[in-house]
Amino acid sequence: NSVVLVTGGSGLVGKAIKYVVENGSGCKNEKWVFASSKDGDLTDRASTEAMFLKYKPTHVIHLAAKVGGLFGNLSANLEFLRKNLEINDNVLFMAHKTGVQHVVSCLSTCIFPDKTSYPINETMVHNGPPHDSNYGYSYAKRMIDILNRGYNREHGRNYTSIIPTNVFGPDDNFNVQEGHVLPGLIHKIYKAKEEGYDLKSNTSKPFTVWGTGKPRRQFIYSRDLARLIIWVLREYKETEPIILSVGEEDEVSIKEAAEQVAIAMEFKNGFIFDTEKSDGQYKKTADNAKLRKYLPDFKFTPFPIALKETCDWFVENYETARK
Amino acid sequence: MMASHKRILVTGGTGLVGQGIRAVVEQDPRADEEFVFLSSKDADLTDRASTKAVFEKHQPTHVIHLAAKVGGLYGNMKANLQFFRINTAINDNVLSIAQETGVRKVVSCLSTCIFPDKTTYPIDESMIHNGPPHDSNYGYSYAKRMIDVMNKGFNQQHGTEFTAVVPTNVFGPHDNFNLEEGHVMPGLIHKVYKCKENKTPFIVWGTGSARRQFIYSKDLGRLFLWVLREYKETEPIILSVSEEDEISIKEAAEFVAKGFDFDGEFQYDRTRSDGQFKKTASNAKLRKYLPDFQFTPMEQAIRETCEWFTANYSTARI
Repeated sequence: NSVVLVTGGSGLVGKAIKYVVENGSGCKNEKWVFASSKDGDLTDRASTEAMFLKYKPTHVIHLAAKVGGLFGNLSANLEFLRKNLEINDNVLFMAHKTGVQHVVSCLSTCIFPDKTSYPINETMVHNGPPHDSNYGYSYAKRMIDILNRGYNREHGRNYTSIIPTNVFGPDDNFNVQEGHVLPGLIHKIYKAKEEGYDLKSNTSKPFTVWGTGKPRRQFIYSRDLARLIIWVLREYKETEPIILSVGEEDEVSIKEAAEQVAIAMEFKNGFIFDTEKSDGQYKKTADNAKLRKYLPDFKFTPFPIALKETCDWFVENYETARK
Repeated sequence: MMASHKRILVTGGTGLVGQGIRAVVEQDPRADEEFVFLSSKDADLTDRASTKAVFEKHQPTHVIHLAAKVGGLYGNMKANLQFFRINTAINDNVLSIAQETGVRKVVSCLSTCIFPDKTTYPIDESMIHNGPPHDSNYGYSYAKRMIDVMNKGFNQQHGTEFTAVVPTNVFGPHDNFNLEEGHVMPGLIHKVYKCKENKTPFIVWGTGSARRQFIYSKDLGRLFLWVLREYKETEPIILSVSEEDEISIKEAAEFVAKGFDFDGEFQYDRTRSDGQFKKTASNAKLRKYLPDFQFTPMEQAIRETCEWFTANYSTARI
């Protein structure tokens, strides 16, 4: 009988895990507990211990973190570093103390070295300093991998981590300033429809996408990520992290992403590109060869379908969505 | 207290480096500086409440942060997790409580062993985070590296002046002379002492040709005080003799023998590994700031250390 504690259980990834568990991915003898900040303050050792003693998990999926977009991070790297170091140390320490054998933590491709060759793979996480804008968050996440190594070598635990590329889905943070590129596009197109959409008139406002639209990104639907995390929890035995992403061949350009969002949102005005705005990096390809070695047949939800589900969710839940 | 008066708290104050600073301070005290040398008896720095209490007791204006959980190669390999967690806790407690209680400047102590394992030489201050450290002490190394990351964070967010130094191989009185756990210079010193006592040949492991930069703890002490008083950068500074003052293990062994007036037999066990031939650290930044700084000549520094060891054998850490 297992009890799986999911910290950060009410966020983008946590909600997706909850969804797939309730829709076929759960197991008979598994009990799932989705903890949020209401259940305990993970920066506090005693509070973390109380949570572990209350739920008595046998497994942990550790998603809780202090996160923020670019602007949140620049002035607060110290906080992001210290709070996340604290959360991670508390969770892993308590897991170990209470005999939890499996913990899967969540890293991010943004913690990789800033100066690097592509595609990036799991061996490269520590090969140089991360981008300066979010060094606090990045180093704290990297130290999860160091702690995993220590617990495994010293105590024989199976603590590991996953590295998703750009996650999207229902329950995301759709705030245009803080959120990531897809939720940002979805929210912007929603507002563009509200403000200027008029099929019959010529005064419809075009939607403006920042940059040339050419940069390419790997996106992973939160529900696909959830299924993969559950596989990692049950089957993956390595200490070294595993990148969870579609392959390079399924990268999508920002232009294609915007077009798909427009289709999903039934926005028919088309858009223009503000080429004055920065594109960011052209490609940041992460290598999913390790995933493909383990799961050659895993099928990702086709991008248009995943986007449609996400957009439909956003429209339906606009009032309560995080934005 | 006058604005210019400094009360300097030295954590890890009774260790090799702390004693080096103490020796300099006692020889050359300044009217506007007061030092408090802490040891583990005064506070458990892994405990936040205990750390807070010691800061509240002494109300320092400055901190020299030397305290750490350290160990030689064998101590480290099995206990990387401990070394990481305990040092991370100590460093977070000291730096954050220093900031909260209004300390403007903290000088912490890193080490050349935390640099990337795969690297070019000479290593310099900009290279610390450029790749993973040697696997045998990754726990200690990453915890020390995070001091540099925290220094940057505290300075950006709170306008403090937190920084760090990177010494090369320190030696001197009050070192750990344990043959299993200690470093190469104290190891040689302890061995020659025993060879002289037992009238056995002195066997140096390896060919003796490997070259190292050594820094005498009293010279390091003088430089630490200069960093505390004058150095304004967040980026660390390597404190070391220059490349031309590297000495080979053979030369070090010969100086140690002279330091004890040992005239017994000298042998080289060439079946033993030399370790890396050179691990040169660049002291260009130090030389830019202090072009005229004179290091104690190696032979004299080693002799002083050997004499201290002889005089203090019964209480030395062996």
